[in-house]
Amino acid sequence: MSTAIRRFGRAAWPPLAFGVGFLAIWELLVRVFDIQPFVLPAPTAIWSAFTVRFSEVFDQTLVTGTNALVGLLIGTFMGVVMSLITVRFRLLEELVTPLAVALNAVPIVVIVPVLNNMLFGTTSQVPRRLMVALIVFFVVFVNVSKGLRQVSATHLELMRSYAASSSAILLKVRVPNALGYLFTSLRISAPLAVITAFVAEYFGGVQNGLATGVRSSLNGSKDVTWAYVIGASALGLTFYMISVGLERLQRGKQPADQFT
Amino acid sequence: MTDQPAVNVRGASMVFNAGTPGQVDALSEVDVIVDPGEFVSLIGPSGCGKSTLLRLIANLIEPTSGSVEVNGKSAKQACADQDYGMAFQQSGLFDWRSVAKNIELPLELKGWDKAKRAARSQEMLDLVKLSDRGAHMPWQLSGGQQQRIAIARALASHPPLLLMDEPFGALDEMTREHMQAELLQICEVTNTTVVFVTHSIPEAVYLSDRVVVMSAGPGRITDVIDVGLGKNRDEGTRENDSFYKKITEVREALRGAELGDGARGIEDR
Repeated sequence: MSTAIRRFGRAAWPPLAFGVGFLAIWELLVRVFDIQPFVLPAPTAIWSAFTVRFSEVFDQTLVTGTNALVGLLIGTFMGVVMSLITVRFRLLEELVTPLAVALNAVPIVVIVPVLNNMLFGTTSQVPRRLMVALIVFFVVFVNVSKGLRQVSATHLELMRSYAASSSAILLKVRVPNALGYLFTSLRISAPLAVITAFVAEYFGGVQNGLATGVRSSLNGSKDVTWAYVIGASALGLTFYMISVGLERLQRGKQPADQFT
Repeated sequence: MTDQPAVNVRGASMVFNAGTPGQVDALSEVDVIVDPGEFVSLIGPSGCGKSTLLRLIANLIEPTSGSVEVNGKSAKQACADQDYGMAFQQSGLFDWRSVAKNIELPLELKGWDKAKRAARSQEMLDLVKLSDRGAHMPWQLSGGQQQRIAIARALASHPPLLLMDEPFGALDEMTREHMQAELLQICEVTNTTVVFVTHSIPEAVYLSDRVVVMSAGPGRITDVIDVGLGKNRDEGTRENDSFYKKITEVREALRGAELGDGARGIEDR
């Protein structure tokens, strides 16, 4: 255990030292050159703004985080379900895959205002969540479909020699094979969900969320803006670390050479 | 069991991509009879259709013409009844299942209950001398051990017939010889009939009661050689004069069939 801590310490000190050093130089530059807070606030000023407005930043983080999470869950669920359906029915695959690609090519910028104005009004979080779901869906759908299909030929022959039905093959070979792909796609799409939820707020809708906070504070002293940036970074990191943790957990059961 | 042959292939032909420029006559008018308890090897150069023949017996593909019977039933019925187990060059173990759970897979598909499955998988682990490895994951085992687990899995439901497609092809020479001896023992104990595809002449001679020599273009049987080394073979068998004589006989049969050219891909070791 102590060696594990020591190894962690050894791995952690360079980035920690870099981070602390970076902040120190930043602080120093702001003070030496007397940079104004509406241009670039000092780290200490940002931190005090963050602590003073903690509950507000926290609330907005929660709003954006909830949007990201709901979208992530819906997108993942839909992605898994659709890939299961398309692997089972070839015809649907030919129908859905180009559609999914086309859908993904539509810029988010276009869809959010449209949804806001036409369908849900400006008091709803639904358009933002839909956007996240859409982005996540594509990543999950493509990856899980690949995992369901790329099974070893030997495994398939083996199952057929057992006279296994195609649902048995799906359950015992394809689904377990796709699990690794699912967690990899989550690692990719979790931070993407946060970014999408954040960006979606720039295009109208309810006046809350982290990006709204950033936007509305841009006129004044930038330390408040940076306080929201801290919230956004924390949110993105949380999503990323949870998804990496899940992937590690799942990969613990896989051979080491599959780690990438 | 019965006086039915374990495998009865009559006039089987297999044509891939028929009628196109890419047409391949993988097998042409092949007849093979394997008696219960017999160990028969299929040997020949690449493209001679030996794997195709094995897959016909396993009902993984259906012949273009001719018939395949296993234990007196159609290959399809025999597959449905799980009358045979299969092992491939790749062990084909599932990385997400423990070793014991891998062995239990065919039993799971047959609907055995959990306790019975666990008892049988332990029995099979004992048989392949890996009694304490049940809880390991496949990738924690060596290549030879993985292949032993694959054999244990193939035999888990005690099928009367074992179909093997170059199962030791990826192993090093020492492990390979060791595995051959083990396989003979296992088949002796379980009284299993084996059809064994291989590239290696010594392997075919050491293991088999009969060696079926095949050649390519179109795939066909050119010779069947009775090995006649008796049932109790051990490491001494490999140094026996009659062993060498049989190796020479099989080699000449292969050369004769191919007239020098097609015998590429045959391992002379």
